[in-house]
Amino acid sequence: MASINLIIAREFNERVRKKSFIVTTILIPILMVALMLAPALIMRYAHGDTRLIEVIDQSGLIAPSLENNSEIVFEPTSATLDEARRSTAENETFGVLVIGEDVLTNPNNVTLYANGPSSVSIEEAIKSQVSGIIEKEKLKAYHIDNLQQILAEVETHVSLQVFRVDDGRDKQAASSAIATTVGIVLAMVLYMFLLMYGAMVMQSVIEEKNNRVLEVIVSSVSPFRLMLGKILGIALVAIFQILIWAVLIVVIGGVVIPHLFTPDMMGGMEGMEAMQAMQSGAMGGIDATAIQALSVMTDIGYITQILVYLILYVMGGYLLYSAMFAAVGSAVDSVQDAQQLQTPITIPIILSIFVMLLVTKDPNAPLVFWCSMIPFTSPVVMMARIPNGIPMWEPVVSLVILYASFLVMVWLAAKIFRVGIFMYGKKTTFKELWKWMRYKY
Amino acid sequence: MTTDNIIEIHRVTKAFAKHTALDDVSLTIPRGSVYGLLGPNGAGKTTLIRIINRITAPDSGRVLFNGRDLQPEDVYRIGYLPEERGLYKKMKVGEQAIFFARLKGLSRHDAIVKLKAWFEKFGIESWWDRKVDELSKGMAQKVQFIVTVLHEPELLIFDEPFSGFDPINANLLKEEILGLRDRGATVIFSTHNMSSVEEICDHITLINNSHNILTGRVDEIRRQYGERKMITVEEVSSMNDIFIKAVKGELSHGKH
Repeated sequence: MASINLIIAREFNERVRKKSFIVTTILIPILMVALMLAPALIMRYAHGDTRLIEVIDQSGLIAPSLENNSEIVFEPTSATLDEARRSTAENETFGVLVIGEDVLTNPNNVTLYANGPSSVSIEEAIKSQVSGIIEKEKLKAYHIDNLQQILAEVETHVSLQVFRVDDGRDKQAASSAIATTVGIVLAMVLYMFLLMYGAMVMQSVIEEKNNRVLEVIVSSVSPFRLMLGKILGIALVAIFQILIWAVLIVVIGGVVIPHLFTPDMMGGMEGMEAMQAMQSGAMGGIDATAIQALSVMTDIGYITQILVYLILYVMGGYLLYSAMFAAVGSAVDSVQDAQQLQTPITIPIILSIFVMLLVTKDPNAPLVFWCSMIPFTSPVVMMARIPNGIPMWEPVVSLVILYASFLVMVWLAAKIFRVGIFMYGKKTTFKELWKWMRYKY
Repeated sequence: MTTDNIIEIHRVTKAFAKHTALDDVSLTIPRGSVYGLLGPNGAGKTTLIRIINRITAPDSGRVLFNGRDLQPEDVYRIGYLPEERGLYKKMKVGEQAIFFARLKGLSRHDAIVKLKAWFEKFGIESWWDRKVDELSKGMAQKVQFIVTVLHEPELLIFDEPFSGFDPINANLLKEEILGLRDRGATVIFSTHNMSSVEEICDHITLINNSHNILTGRVDEIRRQYGERKMITVEEVSSMNDIFIKAVKGELSHGKH
C-alpha cells in the first residue's frame, strides 16, 4: 500500500505546484465573483442616458401625474406639435409625447414622435405610466371617499408558499423556484467536476506515456495501483482546489461587495424593505419566496442532506468517469488522438445536462427518472432532482448502481490500462479496446 | 533455501490475441552472471523481461526467484531499466530520483544518502535541483541508470542500456555494470548489439520466434559453433555471425 501512497502524493504535489493550477485557482473565484456582480454593476453603471421627452397634454390630466425616473424625464410644454418637434430635433432631446384630448375615452390617442431609435423599455414605461394614470382618473369619476387610501390598501403582490405532504406530515418544501435553482447549481458543479478533473486524469496518463516513464513505474507498482493512485491523487487536487475556491469566493465576496455598494445605498434599500414589512404586517409586502429562501438556507437538516448526497454523487461520478478517462489516456499517444475515444465518455455527461433542464419542468418525468438511475447520467440528473424532494429510496438505489458500476468500470479500465500503456504509435480503435479487455493477465 | 540460480524459468508460455510471444521457454540464470538475452525485434525478449518484473503474468509455466515462486515483494530486489524509458520532464532531478527510490522500498532518508553518493561519483551534484527537460538525453540516461541501481538490487535487468549514450559514457556505464556484478549482483542484459554481448556477457540465451533456440556459456557457444569457421575463415567467428545464423536456422555444429 505504501507504493500507492507515493503515487498519490507525487500526483498531488506535482499538479498543485504547476503554474496553470495556481493561475486557475486564483482566477476562477475572481471570475465567479465578477459574474455574480455583473448584473448589479450593469444596472448601476450601464443604464442608458436620461431621455428628455416633451409632453403636449391636450387633456390636461396626464402630464401632472407623470413620474420621472433615471431613464426618462417628462417635460410638459405648451408649444404646438410642430414647434416642439423642431425644438427637440435641434436640442437633440429624445422626442415629443402627444396625449389626445379624449384620452380617457380613447386610450389609443397617445403618440410618441421620436427623433432617434426608440426602445421597448421606454415604450413600455410610457404605456404603463399612462395606463395607470388613466385608470386612476376613471376611478375618480366614481367619487369614492378616501380613494387614495383604498388604492394603497388594495395593492397586493401574491407570492406562493408551497407545502409538500411527506409521510403524512406537512413539511415546508423549498418552493419549486428555489429547488430548481439549487438543483441546477448542484448539477453544474457536478458536470464541471466530472469533465474537468476526469480530463485531468486522462492528461496525466498521456503525459506519463509521452515521457516514457510508465514502464519504469509499473516495474515497481502494479498498473492497477498506478491507475488508482492517479485517480485518487487528482481527487485530492480537486478537493484542495475547491476548498481554496470556496474560501476565496467568500473572502473576495466579503471584501468587494461592501465596497461596490455604498452603505447608504444598501442601508436605504434594506431600510425601505424593513419599513414596508412593518407597515404591511407579517403576511404582506415582503416576498414569501425570500422568506422561504432564508428558511432553506438556515435549515441545517436540509443543507446537510443535500451536502451528503452531493459528496456521494461527486465521488461516485468522478470515480466512474475518471476510470474511463484513464483507460482512454492509456490507449493514445496525445490529447489530439484522444478526441475520438473520448466522445462516448463526454456524450453522456452532456446529455445529462439536457435531461437536467427537463427536471425543471417535471422532476418525476419517466425520462428524468431513468436518467437519474443510469450511472452515466445519474450524478448530474439526480443532483438536480434531490432538492425537489423525492422519495429516499430513489437516490439510495441510484447510488448503489453508481458505485457498483464504478467497480466494474475500474476493473475494465484497468484491463485496458495495462495493455494500453505499452502501446505506442498506433492509433487505437474501439475494436482494439474491446480486444484488450479480454486479454488474460 | 539458497540456490545457485537466481532465476529459473520453467516452460513459460505467453500468448496475446493474435500471436504467441513466448512458447514453452525455459532458462536458468546463474547467480552472479552477466546474462545476455538476445534476439531480433519482436522475438519475445521484452515479454520475458516483463514477466520477470511481474508487469505481466505468464499464461502457463513457472518463474522461480531464488528457488521459490516469484512474489510481489521481489520487485524490490530487482532493478529494471526498460528500453522505453524516461523521466518526468517537469520534475526536479533530485526529487524525482527520491520518488523512484521510494517506489523500490527505500526510506526517504536512505534514498537521499545513497543518491548523494552516486551523484558525487558521477560528478553531477549540480543537477539535483534542475528539471529533467533542462538535461540532455545522455544526462537524463545517467540519472535513469542511478535510479535503476540505487536500491542495490540482487537482480538488474537492462534493456538496450547503451542506446542514447556516447562512447565515453557507454564505457563508463559498462564498467559500472561489471562493478555491480563484482559486488554480487546478477545482470540480465537484453540487446541486439552483439559486440557489447561479447565484451561483457558470460551466459546468453537467444530467443527467436518465441522460442529459446540457443542457450549456454558464451565461451562454450563460440567453441561449439564457431570452431570450423575459425579454421575456414581467418577471422575469429563473432557472436554476430552466430546470432544471424541461429536466427536463420543455418547454425551447424563446428565439430563433427
